[in-house]
Amino acid sequence: MTRDEFLAEMQEVLQTDAELTADTVLADLDEWDSLSIMATMAFLDKHFGIKMKLADFRVLSTLGDIMDKAGL
Amino acid sequence: MISFTKDQKYIVTGASSGIGEGIALLLNELGATVIAMGRNEERLHDLKSKAHDPEAMFLEVKDLSKDIGTLPDYVKELREKYGKFSGMAYSAGVTAVAPVQVIDYEYAKRIFEINYFAPIMMTKGLLDRRNNVGKGASFVYLSSLDALVSTRGQTLYAGSKAALSATIKGMAREVAFRGIRMNSLLPSLIKTPMTTSAESEKYGAKEVVDEQHPFGWGRVEDVANFAVFLLSNKATFLSGQKYIVDSGGML
Repeated sequence: MTRDEFLAEMQEVLQTDAELTADTVLADLDEWDSLSIMATMAFLDKHFGIKMKLADFRVLSTLGDIMDKAGL
Repeated sequence: MISFTKDQKYIVTGASSGIGEGIALLLNELGATVIAMGRNEERLHDLKSKAHDPEAMFLEVKDLSKDIGTLPDYVKELREKYGKFSGMAYSAGVTAVAPVQVIDYEYAKRIFEINYFAPIMMTKGLLDRRNNVGKGASFVYLSSLDALVSTRGQTLYAGSKAALSATIKGMAREVAFRGIRMNSLLPSLIKTPMTTSAESEKYGAKEVVDEQHPFGWGRVEDVANFAVFLLSNKATFLSGQKYIVDSGGML
């Protein structure tokens, strides 16, 4: 998966019309709530085999940070 | 009094007959815009001709048992066509008379596809924030009393309907904070084309009705009234429940 493909997938995971980039700050998104975090965790597990905990997201600020975590 | 406005748009599945038809007509009569979905185009046109306000009764010919995985995309297309939805009444389903000795794996899977996976995938599409109005949206699912009380021959049907209402209850928790409500109705025998089919008769439906239903066969209106109430803003206190509608069958 490329970084662009990742962003397109996240559009569906977060169910948002907002334009997503690597610089998008997660906390700035209305859709970034506990359920969206859970959905993101499931997404990372399914596609990258990465098992994250809720607390892990505290240190991730942007979508780029998540992509780094996924090794993209 | 329960009323709706034209900008409240509801998808009603299984609208070409039985309970779905009853819900579609009542919602339309009370002022809502209805997107009536069914497999049979001719019967959908009959529905429109019976509608109180045909201008607010839109027809979608669709077989929800096919290409189930693509249903969320289908919902997106509908949203682009009609705008954001205020909810859905899901009434499409099949009865399945199959005592244990004739249960066949492929048949069993098919029952679950139609009665469980199809409504779940439609719901996934509709719960997408981009496709519904958010606060005030309401969803109602036709489960069955069979989910709680066993009937001979209805084991797969019971399983599929129990699974449906259990999943809907879980989803209700996930979306409650967005002001969206979701409930299931568990009717006993309602007189519809599905339940009066020759096959159902054969397995003793009539006998069950006489013994266990003091108020007789349920009528379509008995369920439609409840469903429309749950969709309305008079039911804003109610979510995540499984309501029994059973003609006093547990007295």
